[in-house]
Amino acid sequence: MVLPLIEKLPLVAQVKLRRFLRPPGAQKEALFLQNCIACGQCANVCPNQCIDLYGIEAGLENLGTPRITARAQACILCMACTQVCPTDALEKLEPTKEGKRAVQMGIAVLSEDLCYSFAGRTCGVCYRACPLPGEAMTIGLFEQPHVHAEHCIGCGLCEQACIKMPQAIRIIPRLELEETEATKAESS
Amino acid sequence: MKSGRLLLALSIISRVGVVTILCALALLTHYHNLKSAYNHPRLVELSSGKTARFAYEYTDKFLSLFGEPEVEARKSGGMTWSIRLAGVPFTDPVAALSVLAKNHRWELGFALGLIIPLSLAFIFGRVFCSYICPASLLFFTISRIRKLLSPIFYFPDLKMNRGFSWGILAGGLVMAVYFSHGIWIFILPYFAVGQTIYAGIASGTLSVALGSLILFSALDLFLGKQFTCRYVCPTGRLLGFIGRKSPITIQRDASTCLDSCQSCIDVCPMKVQPKYDESIDCSICGECLTVCPPQCLSIGLRKKPTSTQT
Ligand code: SF4
Ligand code: SF4
Ligand code: SF4
Ligand code: SF4
Ligand code: SF4
Repeated sequence: MVLPLIEKLPLVAQVKLRRFLRPPGAQKEALFLQNCIACGQCANVCPNQCIDLYGIEAGLENLGTPRITARAQACILCMACTQVCPTDALEKLEPTKEGKRAVQMGIAVLSEDLCYSFAGRTCGVCYRACPLPGEAMTIGLFEQPHVHAEHCIGCGLCEQACIKMPQAIRIIPRLELEETEATKAESS
Repeated sequence: MKSGRLLLALSIISRVGVVTILCALALLTHYHNLKSAYNHPRLVELSSGKTARFAYEYTDKFLSLFGEPEVEARKSGGMTWSIRLAGVPFTDPVAALSVLAKNHRWELGFALGLIIPLSLAFIFGRVFCSYICPASLLFFTISRIRKLLSPIFYFPDLKMNRGFSWGILAGGLVMAVYFSHGIWIFILPYFAVGQTIYAGIASGTLSVALGSLILFSALDLFLGKQFTCRYVCPTGRLLGFIGRKSPITIQRDASTCLDSCQSCIDVCPMKVQPKYDESIDCSICGECLTVCPPQCLSIGLRKKPTSTQT
């Protein structure tokens, strides 16, 4: 929710494409921003050092809130951050299979024209990185990965693991999925 | 005079302690990482060097005094805005107001964190400002610089309406409702300090909060002694308001007070007037105790209103 006039200020950068994930346990973006007090406790506790805090670059809305850049360092789903968040901006989850299945950070999308396996060079690295192998991702002939969007939790471990530069598999963050859904709903 | 110096020394020591804790918490991020990645001093040395090994080993030893190091380490974290120390939560009252304004509800753990800060304010008034706030250490230093340079330069000391910081509190709440709670980073000096320390130590980056810290320092230097604390920071105003009837506060012995003396009024960084038995906004910093010539000021139990009127 942003005032129309304030939106014009340079401070509120309208970064439409945000390749950043929220930590696991985060609810819908609007609800997350409502709850997150920018205390940084999630970033503080992350043993994987994958969370960093937004500066002003993505507008006042995101100032001080946590983000994960999957290609640099993806979340290993240890759930430490969800345990310490004081405001339930991150729902409490356990580092079990059930806990992992409840995460919704985004959805992995594979570009077959970049992927080694689809070019005949058997790779399969992303499959080996996936915390939900056989559910979120299955593997076919020549180790060709197949993402199953309904089970993929968007942790980004596959994106980090991908040995192709640039990566053949990317996470579409939940925020972007929500935005495309909203525009689809509008146009229909 | 002696007790004033003692309070002053105590306030400096405790604020330096708070800054140290904030730095230690930011360093804890690296400890978490080393612990879960290597979990062995020798491997830590191979990956991150001798200094890291030293810090890692001693953190490990220290934490194992209390229990499993990894579990204990997770019990502390955050900044002055919302912090956990050994599992005890502390919540900034302004954070609580901000969440209330935007969300209309509090989580239990978050609300429990209010108990200690609010009780402190109820009993001692605005002590947070002199003994805990890491930003006030900066402002204290600036006020000493002003004093040092005052023979050479002229430093104005503006007085404004206290309503100004109430306005900033209201403005901040409205901003928080429209944006997110992160905007307080720019408004609250101690939050800016926390962010700067965390970004610097844990991520090795410069925080944008540094900009507002520079602005606040400039205000303090050019507009008045602890100007930010008096007219900008909403927390200080809020705590002063909560503690306006605090049982422990500045006391004056009217029988020895000199009619011609204004020392305490001149020295008070919060522009309290102990001479007129004013105590609202007193942060028990002890400055006035050090200057009062007949030593008629003291910190103690608030006298009944009937006796203060004489
Ligand atoms: S689940 Fe663990 S690795 Fe992932 S962001 Fe949270 S603390 Fe970091
Ligand atoms: S711990 Fe929770 S409230 Fe604090 S910054 Fe992280 S998500 Fe936001
Ligand atoms: S497919 Fe990728 S993003 Fe999805 S769960 Fe597996 S590793 Fe995570
Ligand atoms: S008024 Fe604000 S900045 Fe100043 S000492 Fe108090 S809490 Fe800190
Ligand atoms: S009256 Fe002013 S100078 Fe005296 S202790 Fe209180 S805040 Fe400090």
